[in-house]
Amino acid sequence: MRMLVFVLMATAARADDMVIPQFADDGAAAGITSVYAGDWQYFVGGGVAVFDCNADGFQDMLLAGGEAPATFYRNVGAQGGALAFQAAASGLEMDAVTGAYPLDVDGDGIIDVALLRVGENHLMRGLGYCRFASANADWGFDGGDAWSTAFAATWEAGATWPTIAIGNYLDRDEEDFPWGSCTDNWLHRPSGDGFAPPLPLTPSFCALSMLFTDWDRSGTPALRVSNDREYYRGGQEQMWRMPPGEAPALYTEAEGWQRLRVWGMGIASHDVTGDGYPDYFLTSMADNKFQTLTQPDAGPPLPRFADVAFARGITAHRPYTGTDLFPSTAWHAQFDDVNNDGRADLFIAKGNVSQMPDFAQADPNNLLLQTPDGTFIEAGDLAGVASVATSRGAALADLNMDGLLDLVVVNRWEPAQLWRNVTPDPQAWAGVRLQQPGANRDAIGAWVEVRRADQVTRREITLGGGHASGQVGWLHFGLGDAATAEVRVIWPDGSTDDWQALPANAFSTLSPGQPPRPYSRP
Amino acid sequence: MRRTRRQVVAGLAAVLGAAPLATWADDARPTPQAVVQRWYRLILELVRHTPTYSPPVASRALAYIGITAYEVVASTGTALRSLTGQVHDLIPLPQSAIAVDRGVALHAAMAVVVQAMFGNTGPTGQRAMQAMTDKGALRQATGVAPDLVAQSVAHGRSVAAHILAWSQSDGGAVVENMGFPLSYALGNTPAAWVPTSRVAQQQFPLLPLWGRNRPFAMPAGDACGLPPPPDYSEDPSSAFFAEAREVYDTVKGLTDDQKRIARFWSDDAMLSPTPPGHWMHIALRALDDEGADLVQHVDVLARLGIAVADAFIACWASKYTYDLLRPVTYIRRFIDPKFEPLLNTPPFPEYPSGHSTQSAAAAVVLTAIWGEHFAFDDDTHVDEGMPARSFASFHAAADEAALSRLYGGIHFRAAIERGLAQGRCVGAFAAGLQTRI
Repeated sequence: MRMLVFVLMATAARADDMVIPQFADDGAAAGITSVYAGDWQYFVGGGVAVFDCNADGFQDMLLAGGEAPATFYRNVGAQGGALAFQAAASGLEMDAVTGAYPLDVDGDGIIDVALLRVGENHLMRGLGYCRFASANADWGFDGGDAWSTAFAATWEAGATWPTIAIGNYLDRDEEDFPWGSCTDNWLHRPSGDGFAPPLPLTPSFCALSMLFTDWDRSGTPALRVSNDREYYRGGQEQMWRMPPGEAPALYTEAEGWQRLRVWGMGIASHDVTGDGYPDYFLTSMADNKFQTLTQPDAGPPLPRFADVAFARGITAHRPYTGTDLFPSTAWHAQFDDVNNDGRADLFIAKGNVSQMPDFAQADPNNLLLQTPDGTFIEAGDLAGVASVATSRGAALADLNMDGLLDLVVVNRWEPAQLWRNVTPDPQAWAGVRLQQPGANRDAIGAWVEVRRADQVTRREITLGGGHASGQVGWLHFGLGDAATAEVRVIWPDGSTDDWQALPANAFSTLSPGQPPRPYSRP
Repeated sequence: MRRTRRQVVAGLAAVLGAAPLATWADDARPTPQAVVQRWYRLILELVRHTPTYSPPVASRALAYIGITAYEVVASTGTALRSLTGQVHDLIPLPQSAIAVDRGVALHAAMAVVVQAMFGNTGPTGQRAMQAMTDKGALRQATGVAPDLVAQSVAHGRSVAAHILAWSQSDGGAVVENMGFPLSYALGNTPAAWVPTSRVAQQQFPLLPLWGRNRPFAMPAGDACGLPPPPDYSEDPSSAFFAEAREVYDTVKGLTDDQKRIARFWSDDAMLSPTPPGHWMHIALRALDDEGADLVQHVDVLARLGIAVADAFIACWASKYTYDLLRPVTYIRRFIDPKFEPLLNTPPFPEYPSGHSTQSAAAAVVLTAIWGEHFAFDDDTHVDEGMPARSFASFHAAADEAALSRLYGGIHFRAAIERGLAQGRCVGAFAAGLQTRI
């Protein structure tokens, strides 16, 4: 017990030095009523996609509805004002949606949306002004008929269309003995102006999160897959090597891959350790994992990761407030800087699977703030976002463009929640959006580096991961007390811009070889 | 003859693959023993997929479920003798004064006891239990008069309710936080157990009070007590250091077969049916292969369940009496700070080895039923990609299970050998139950 008291005292001391963000509940006032509904086939999923579909700079949202139709919300707020959304007909209002990810599939400059469903998945082509229509037929996209629960996309070297990975869960028709009935994940590679028939990613182990990520900075992303051990046989976490034009192949133990079996539900990545490589937070039940590459300085890295969740204070294994002390159940996770101190913080959405009494019923979401020594302290309750609703997907995004990250959380059986970040006297920040000509307009696969004083923050631009939730648009960088900052981008093709001044407290668009262009509302 | 059986089992495994135990095809009314097999197939899945089900918890459930099935059959005019008066605190069970269809009653009882024991499982397990309950009831009622169905269901449920009521007072009915206490005073001697992982939930040891649970057939939790482990010492010339050195050298020099053995018997909680489920699988296979009738089915399953449950009570009593540190702790302190055992070290004290104790107890019961030279193939983990292993006897399997903990780097030799001795002591009580009139 002595150790516990010491830790608590140390945590309190560190908390005194931290900027605790403050959030105001804007959900009801903002008009958010969407509920992730449904029984067995919807105990996973429940995602949110955040994107700007009317080119006004403000991020709009699509919330999965489970057995109910998904709901599209147009952002009608004002810069710096209260959050305000308006449900609108968009063409995205399908039922059986478990998750959604935005991406510009065809490179036409208009955002499209991938819908994960129980049933046929859809690539919804953006028609402009937040109208969408299924393009499965036009693009040769085989939406299949499965219980789809994970998504990731990348543009392989030289490709003008994305490669899309879809993660699938159980055989939903297997009622008596569903364990071991994980269905194949799919890899949709491009073919002409569309997609080839999907390639099964066998073996598949009930994926709940997937992420294309350049884990070794080789320039060729691999596909990480986080799997739910509840249902697989002989399964584990996976990473597929993805050489362009070649069949994907799993990293093996002989190559350094270490077997890990968790109730994998979400992946969040960020270079938290500052070693230049992405680190990965894997959500699960009870203890969560935080993996960092073990030998980045010893020649070509092997895919070996050390779990440093305990050391960093982010096991987040049980509720930190309230009287329910049973183990937690974690879903969506996201690293981002919620207090603009220049360090990535960690949000985790929590919620019981389905009235499992051995796990916390009142399971507050986490908001873990990174301290200067790289450990994290819990601030969800202090910040006002310690909801004990049954949460699933989520997104941290600057929804009112005031330089502070807001928060939307999708809940099972309960309305989604929306919090506005109202932290007083915020520190400096920069909003950055990447835009390159031609295909892969949003530069998925790029790295953005922001330098202030002697600190460099590196961020890989990915599309996937989380839990059924994704976003494309503004990237948020806290700058702390720095008056100036610099930025450079390593673009997906490997070309690297020079360092250049990054305007603080402003939104800027970055394109290859060009100075930052300031955002102005149309 | 035994070789023939092994070949038959191997053939079945190949055909059935991931579903190795008896299945209900579309036969309208399965035999009662098929009902038992089918339910146990689901039970072993639920053991694996219910987060609270660490090995001790699994052993307890398997004991009560086995006794429930046994008492249903014993109460419906068979040659079985009730365990009332033979296991602690079990008062006489309801007897059927009227006609009962054994299959209907058995299915109804299993539905009640399994749903109670696994009431905390997840939504998919709940769905599967309900499907089993509903479909099984429909099949069992086929061709049976409705009033006979009703009174048989009532009888089965009353037996199950009786067993469940009895189970509530044994000390193991409530398991919270997956068995890890929220507060616990760690020992403060150099020999004391300390956490071996960076898993926050496992900074306190699993189920520290389990050894105080009411045993079943064993006279008391300490009826098969053990002498202390070798005296703790950090002296390189000491016996204790030598044991640690043996673990270290063994792990460093593992052969491929030794690695296979360690992983085969790893039987991790929530990733396998656990050690007691592993032995239950062996028994179910043997019953199926031998064409055992219903009476032998429930006799074997009840006594085996009792044996492994008592084994975990005895073992846990010893573990928390001696509170010994794990090899990984000692080796990293005094031999090699970078030592990594092959297996994940379980989060509780070392002495004795739980798998050794319960495997030996199981082997005693199964040997009492099928003899000293019952050769068999163990295909428990075929669906996980691990080939079946062949054994000349149940005790040979238990010995390998025990030694696997040395290969895995998680136990010293004394814990293994004395665990086996403890298990043989425990198993004798279960094997000695009088099951026939």
